[in-house]
Amino acid sequence: MASKRPAKYDILFEPIQVGPKVMKNRFHQSPHCIGAGSDKPGFQAAHRGVKAEGGWGAINTEYCSIHPESDDTHRVSARIWDEGDVRNLRAMTDEIHKYGSLAGVEMWYGSSHAPCMETRCTPRGASQYASEFETLTYCHEMDHDDIRQVQQYYVDAALRSRDAGFDIVNVYGGHAYLPVQFLSPYHNKRTDNYGGSFENRARFWVETLEQVKNAVGNDCAIASRFAIDSLYGTAGVEVEVDGIKFIQLADDLVDIWDIKIGDIAEWGEDAGPSRFYRQGHQIPWQKFVKQHSKKAVLGVGRFTDAEKMAEVIRNGELDIISCARPSISDPFLPQKIEEGRIDDVRTCIGCNVCISRWEIGGPPMICTQNATAGEEYRRGWHPEKFEPAKSDDTILVVGAGPSGTEAARVLMERGYVVHLADSAEKVGGHINAVATLPGLGEWGYHRDYREVQLDKLVKKNRDSQLALGGKPLTADDVLTYGADKVIIATGSSWSGDGTNSLSHDPVPGVDAAKPNHLTPEQVIAGSKEPGKRVTILNADPYFMGPSLAELLASRGHEVTVIDGVGFGNYMHFTLEAPNMHRRLHELHVNVIGDTWVSKVEDGRVQIYNIWGDGSRREYRGPGVIPREENRTYEWHDYDTLVLVTGRTSNDDLFRELKARRDEFTKNDIKGVYVIGDAWAPKLMADATFDGHRIAREIEEANPQLPIAYKREASVWGAAYLPDGEFRQEWRV
Amino acid sequence: MKILVAVKQVSVLDDEFEMRDDGRDVDEDFFEKDLNEFDHFAVEEALLIKEASGGEAEVVIVTVGDDDADDALRTALAKGAERGVRVWDDSLVDADSVTIAKVLAKVVEREDPDMVFTGAQSVDFGHAATGMALAGLLGWPHAAVVSKLDFKPGDENATIHRELEGGLEEIMSVTCPAVLSIQLGINQPRYASLRGIRQARQKPVDELDLSDLGLSAETVKAASRVRRMYAPERGQAEIIEGSVAEQAARLAEIVKELRGA
Repeated sequence: MASKRPAKYDILFEPIQVGPKVMKNRFHQSPHCIGAGSDKPGFQAAHRGVKAEGGWGAINTEYCSIHPESDDTHRVSARIWDEGDVRNLRAMTDEIHKYGSLAGVEMWYGSSHAPCMETRCTPRGASQYASEFETLTYCHEMDHDDIRQVQQYYVDAALRSRDAGFDIVNVYGGHAYLPVQFLSPYHNKRTDNYGGSFENRARFWVETLEQVKNAVGNDCAIASRFAIDSLYGTAGVEVEVDGIKFIQLADDLVDIWDIKIGDIAEWGEDAGPSRFYRQGHQIPWQKFVKQHSKKAVLGVGRFTDAEKMAEVIRNGELDIISCARPSISDPFLPQKIEEGRIDDVRTCIGCNVCISRWEIGGPPMICTQNATAGEEYRRGWHPEKFEPAKSDDTILVVGAGPSGTEAARVLMERGYVVHLADSAEKVGGHINAVATLPGLGEWGYHRDYREVQLDKLVKKNRDSQLALGGKPLTADDVLTYGADKVIIATGSSWSGDGTNSLSHDPVPGVDAAKPNHLTPEQVIAGSKEPGKRVTILNADPYFMGPSLAELLASRGHEVTVIDGVGFGNYMHFTLEAPNMHRRLHELHVNVIGDTWVSKVEDGRVQIYNIWGDGSRREYRGPGVIPREENRTYEWHDYDTLVLVTGRTSNDDLFRELKARRDEFTKNDIKGVYVIGDAWAPKLMADATFDGHRIAREIEEANPQLPIAYKREASVWGAAYLPDGEFRQEWRV
Repeated sequence: MKILVAVKQVSVLDDEFEMRDDGRDVDEDFFEKDLNEFDHFAVEEALLIKEASGGEAEVVIVTVGDDDADDALRTALAKGAERGVRVWDDSLVDADSVTIAKVLAKVVEREDPDMVFTGAQSVDFGHAATGMALAGLLGWPHAAVVSKLDFKPGDENATIHRELEGGLEEIMSVTCPAVLSIQLGINQPRYASLRGIRQARQKPVDELDLSDLGLSAETVKAASRVRRMYAPERGQAEIIEGSVAEQAARLAEIVKELRGA
């Protein structure tokens, strides 16, 4: 039975007045992108609505553009430009109001950070500058007419927001967007009464707040998101200088301060990955605000732990806990705390894969921990509720890594009898190794959540079993196991022969059977002692290369990286790249980029620039490549070679079973399926998704392949605006 | 050839628990029931002997327990034992190890096995006495904490290894039949397959009461009883602060308190 929450968490459930509204508790879902915006209203409404159901007291849109001049295409923002957006966003506010939560809108004008690739508008800014984020985009420096006009955009957007049912309108001056650009000397070089002195730099923001408050202040709470320290020292806004002064100046104009730090170009300082930042990492800056404000103060900081949340409120550092990533990882976080079900919390691991999808621009958000994130509307997946099993089929899942544990968990939640088998003593698969890498300890929460849930479920589901630590199952074992359906989730391994994404072949001379050629698994297991000079061959764009470089360099090895694909390239999307590069620079790791390896000899590798010498292409007949062959090579010496070249599915078991499919019937097997890395190596989030997906769709005719999801797209034959015309209208 | 494996359904405590009103045990709402961990090894050892002999041996599981204990019995059957025996009578509620051994001795008389295995101890009470008492009642040899066993059907003697203090290992020979108490780690217990679990539901289990074994409530009256079970107060740590002199003074005070001065 759910016990009641401990009294120490009561403070998190005290209602708080914010202007004309009352927030029922202290859990605020910070604005965060999901890839829905206002163009996918079903996705938007379902994703935010599930959080309202899960107990969040206030729930925001992602950044919501107030005007076509602020167009972030191809990244997906919400928009509140017209009646069509009002209609679509109302689906979200209606859903949130069903559960007595408040709906918030983050009114965004990006200035030069918005490249306007769809609208082809020219953004306006405090001064003219090329964006430090979108370095090709310049803004037009506003004159006083421009200032009035853009301020009116805020007012019009606030009025539309009120009409769309929003309870909180947020004038967004975080992440180096327009209001804070005016405040910051880094962007504001004006010499008129909107630039120079603090009062002048604050003027635009203060006036905008006054106008928005006059327009909707009786109906909506006025919030303002404030990047209270740009982290640039005197070049930008500093918390104890302009930061506090602005709070004092504008305190009467807001009902809620939404406080964060940092800019947009390096916004991983705000959305700090767990690799570098613990929860509450912004408190040293945020805590000043309450000392100078009479208004409700909220702030983010990847708060995952009820203990810490209650502590920062008790300490008078914040009034309201704001979460983006923890709310994605567990939309029911508040409810679980309220019911005292702390061990059921699906804790955010801080990998920032959710953010990576926004950075890539366009794809729906995904979450490593919560496979239902982004799938609420289109697949109908609720994070906490499951369709009861539709048959008495018993299911054997082979492999207890991210994919297998998720499949087993969801199948058992549905009431299936499941046996989950792994030769390791502990569930988690490769996470057990990965979580030992520098800074990646919190990634282990992925395993921990599933371990706790599986232990509970296996007690509840009679005849289900976690068969850990046994001998690896053979095809014979599987065939005679007695399961109706079999799911193979045996993961993948790093190639031991240098097979890579550039040549699609092994690297000649590479062999992980040699004592000085190490796969990542061998490095982590410590099964071979690396020598003084370590060379990492890197053809993987994610974390493994950088993590091993850090691990080995911090142990005193001289590390050189031969990189052919962009070292840690995906970590730009997860916002881990800047501090990763700083860290490796501090550790004197030598990264040789745009370079790959042609062959390996004992103690040396032959490397070449991947672009080579053949810039001119011409047809030269069969058997001849159409470019000059590369003539330039160098030799690089090593003691130990580490092979981060590529991964291969561990699919032998699946393929043997598939080859013996004629034995399925006599063994009463209805089907054998493969998921996760064993299907094809992929992100942990996608492997987890595979496990979840097959568990939700196990009764389908062919559960191997996903069923179609509900699409949201423009429909031909219907106008977007209520009084619009869908047919072609030439202006001739 | 028959091996009888005596198993026990044990109680596993939740992280938090409350005591029963009579203060003699934990409230049963606060524990899970499970097959005793040691017994997995005893069952496995019997199954290995059976399999090595080409199936010449029959493995019979016996437990003393109420309907609930059927789960533990079926768990053992699902691994591959042939059949089960479950003995219960309400008068056995407060049975101690010797009483259980008396019941088991009657089952041994009835089944006439060539070998009896038990787990080295139960994880809930840990007396490690039932096997020993059973051997005593039967007049058979007994070996405790058996960590390696060399025995096949038809052998007159079994060679066993036992772990002793100081890392010593003892090799001894016992004449059969014997009662062996099996230690953790002697083998790697298998998990039941789904097929095994399904088959276990159909396997025969003799459900016996005391009269079936020629016993009565009087003859199984426990000679020992639990008087009280409680969680003793834990000692408290104290961080001693202040100047060196103050710390020394406080330390002296604590020493005096502890010595009862």
